[in-house]
Amino acid sequence: MSSKILVVDDEAPVRDMFKELLKKQGYQVFTVATGEEALEAVAKEDFDAVLLDVKLTGISGLETLKIIKERKPELIVIMITGFGYDDELVTKSNEYGCSGYIGKNADISQIIHCFKCFIKEAKEKNNK
Amino acid sequence: MNPDCQKTIPKIINDASVIMFYLDLKGNISMCNKKAEEMLNRSREELSGKNMLDILYPDASALIKLQMFKAVLDDSVTYKRSSIFEGTIRDSAKIEHVISWNITPMLDESSVLEGILLLGNDVTLLKEREASVKKIDDTLRNILSSIKEYALYAANLEGNITYYGMGFESMFGWQKSEIVFKHVGLLHTFDDVTHKLPFILEQVRSLGQYELEIYLVKKNGESFPVKLSVSQFLDADAKPVGYIFIAKDITEEKKLEYQIFQSEKMSAVGKLAAGMAHEINNPLFVISGTLEMLFENKKLGKELRKKLTTIDNQAERIRKLVDRFLAFARKTSPNQENLDINKIIKNVLPLLSYHKMPSHKIRIVKEFAKKLSLVKGDAHQLQEVFINLFINACQAMPEGGKLSIKTSGSSGEFAQINITDTGSGITAENLKNLFLPFFSTKNEGTGLGLSICYNIIKNHHGTIEVESQIGKGTTFIIRIPFIKDTPR
Repeated sequence: MSSKILVVDDEAPVRDMFKELLKKQGYQVFTVATGEEALEAVAKEDFDAVLLDVKLTGISGLETLKIIKERKPELIVIMITGFGYDDELVTKSNEYGCSGYIGKNADISQIIHCFKCFIKEAKEKNNK
Repeated sequence: MNPDCQKTIPKIINDASVIMFYLDLKGNISMCNKKAEEMLNRSREELSGKNMLDILYPDASALIKLQMFKAVLDDSVTYKRSSIFEGTIRDSAKIEHVISWNITPMLDESSVLEGILLLGNDVTLLKEREASVKKIDDTLRNILSSIKEYALYAANLEGNITYYGMGFESMFGWQKSEIVFKHVGLLHTFDDVTHKLPFILEQVRSLGQYELEIYLVKKNGESFPVKLSVSQFLDADAKPVGYIFIAKDITEEKKLEYQIFQSEKMSAVGKLAAGMAHEINNPLFVISGTLEMLFENKKLGKELRKKLTTIDNQAERIRKLVDRFLAFARKTSPNQENLDINKIIKNVLPLLSYHKMPSHKIRIVKEFAKKLSLVKGDAHQLQEVFINLFINACQAMPEGGKLSIKTSGSSGEFAQINITDTGSGITAENLKNLFLPFFSTKNEGTGLGLSICYNIIKNHHGTIEVESQIGKGTTFIIRIPFIKDTPR
């Protein structure tokens, strides 16, 4: 069975793009626009990983990450951001237990590659 | 003349408030008036025949008395004129009185000296007052001279310098003999002399005081910012006799103010850049993703594929620009390695030849400090700074020139790197905006290079400054603090 991915981004075109790109890679992709919706979806459904935008309307990406990890520590969460590498964001994200950090400014193949690596790494870690 | 006056003269002399003695040629008193009696509290009978020198110099030896008497007398007699000297006498209560004596030789009809007239005025009070005024004057002078952070100077109504305190010489570099009675305009810039200075003095005349920030000029021609306070110089009758200037050098304050201003500006621009980059990245991600998928379509025609490639290339260009944005705005604190600045520069230099520049016409002069302490920081980031500055320097010299790279650590606190070119220089107007993102005078480039340099150095707790002279060249001065407690 293919892995189930939840994409959280407040911009529809971005959500759709991730959906399409990841579908091509063989993932089963679900999308939501806000942190609140993400928390709801995560509670109802079992996902293999969440791709979570840092900047969201409503509760922030970081806050969403924190709550998800509190409720489901095993769930793999990867942060995505339009901001570049930011020390503070990375430190906070790591502290809350995210499995990776991807900038939307990388090129598409790089983004996909990073995404796969992070998931593989996190799964190995979870299996230990 | 009143015929009775011959009779009145002795009375006048007797009653005058002046001390009067008439001496014979040996200096013995043959006559004196009432005032003289009062002063010494002795009757004229008692005084008669006493030697005046014993009264004038009671403690001096006989020989000295004689010499003094001769000296005073000789002068008067030789030149047949009266002379004045000051002496101290003790009254009956042993209180000292300062007397100003007028000594006049008295001659007979055939001009032979027959006696000496001594008239004395008690000037004790006057002397005391003089002494206290002098003491106040000296104290004031000492106070004024001790003020070193300020230059205090005064000018007369014509604007000529009449006085200055200690701080003046060190602030302006002028010596007293060179500047006293020169016009105060000598301390002002050429433009100010014709307009601003007359305006300031005019304001002082009408308001009594005027304060402003202005650039003054040192002897060597260098101008510097001061806070200048000018007041009216009034004499004892409150009549204006000139101007008093107090100048405080505010070069350091101005520098700091500028740095704060610059850093606030940069942080505002940084936030803007980060926000914009974020907004651009989202649609750009969608564009790139869409293109990626279109390219996978095997049925895509050749023409269409070519056009999509153009879009892809341009999107790539935007992405790179946004990357630079983000590099500028990045809040990445530098890696904290111990670094040798000399080594970093040596590593960067070979890279210069890879860039398109007329480096063959450029002579690189290196002057590295022998033992430079280490600094803490990020080697890659610092390399980026140096390569940026070296390339800029080379580009400023399209016709060739000299690129000097000098490191020093003499202050003991900072590693200082001076990067000097002999290029065209930067105008004062451009210097102000030099570190602003997107500011560029070049046809190529994003205008982000120096703003990134600025941020990197700032993240290393250092400073970056630039000095430039049109037609002569430009120097970038970078200072990065040494790690504390490393041997120098």
